[in-house]
Amino acid sequence: MTVDALNPLIHVPTRLQIVAMLAALPDGDVLSFTRLQEMIGLTPGNLITHLRKLEDAGYLTSEKTGNGPASRTSVALTHRGRAALDTYTETLRGLLNGL
Amino acid sequence: MNGTSDRDTTETYEDEAELDPRQAASLLAQTQRQAQRDFDFRSPWLSLLAAAVVLVAFGVVWLSVRGQHPYKGPTAVALVALYAVVLIRVGTVVYAHRRARAGVSGRSVSQQRAEGMGLAVALVAVYLLMGAMAHDGASDGVVYGVYVVTATLVVLGTFGAARSAAREDWRGLGVSIALVLVAAGSAFAGPRGVWLSDGVGCCVVLLGYGAAQAWQLRASRSDV
Repeated sequence: MTVDALNPLIHVPTRLQIVAMLAALPDGDVLSFTRLQEMIGLTPGNLITHLRKLEDAGYLTSEKTGNGPASRTSVALTHRGRAALDTYTETLRGLLNGL
Repeated sequence: MNGTSDRDTTETYEDEAELDPRQAASLLAQTQRQAQRDFDFRSPWLSLLAAAVVLVAFGVVWLSVRGQHPYKGPTAVALVALYAVVLIRVGTVVYAHRRARAGVSGRSVSQQRAEGMGLAVALVAVYLLMGAMAHDGASDGVVYGVYVVTATLVVLGTFGAARSAAREDWRGLGVSIALVLVAAGSAFAGPRGVWLSDGVGCCVVLLGYGAAQAWQLRASRSDV
């Protein structure tokens, strides 16, 4: 098994952090964009780029509530996203055991 | 994703740095630990505070009742001290909980509200029953001594046990069961001794819980 076996969408430092952070929430919970940004320490632009990639792959969902300055965006990991992280972790474990 | 007011920016930067498996495993473990720490309001310090609160609160009441013959119940000053330290504890927990759960919404938040409502009703029922017992002529020693402290702790412990079991938090379940056992066992100490026995017993259980939390934190840090 090689590093290529790891899901390339998750095998990027920032996206790995995003997915791991969101996976720590109980199923059915969502996290505000601002809290996620604060926890990971990214600029909004950088975070939005990574979130968009994960959302396009069906790994997370985002929901916007309110309008104008009071608007709030929340993100959550989908079942597909959780399954992808589980598979990634298993593959990683296999790779490390083989080293 | 559409741009929104809380994430509008012109800056976009794609971080595609290479990770080897060891770095990835380390980053994953570190992030999981950080998330657990950030989202969970419980800490060894809060457990230590709870241990101190329960010892001081029950200790003050015990000092006020230990010389009473016959037993009349805690004095007004002791009750004020008891509720003051309990309020400090509640305030600290609410602050830590709000801080940890900032930005989180969804199913678990609704569940916690429902659980809180259930606990509040159970505690009100304890005091209603106390009123009924006093009305029916039960002695002060039973109503304002053994019953009130034992029933309150049993309700809190049972609530904690059910909540921990539902979340598969086995350490929380163990602590909750220990608190219920301390409360039930202390009832045999009588209306004066129950305060001291519960204060010391609960303090020891909470100190043990805090030590276990601190040990787990240390162990998870050394896993890197």
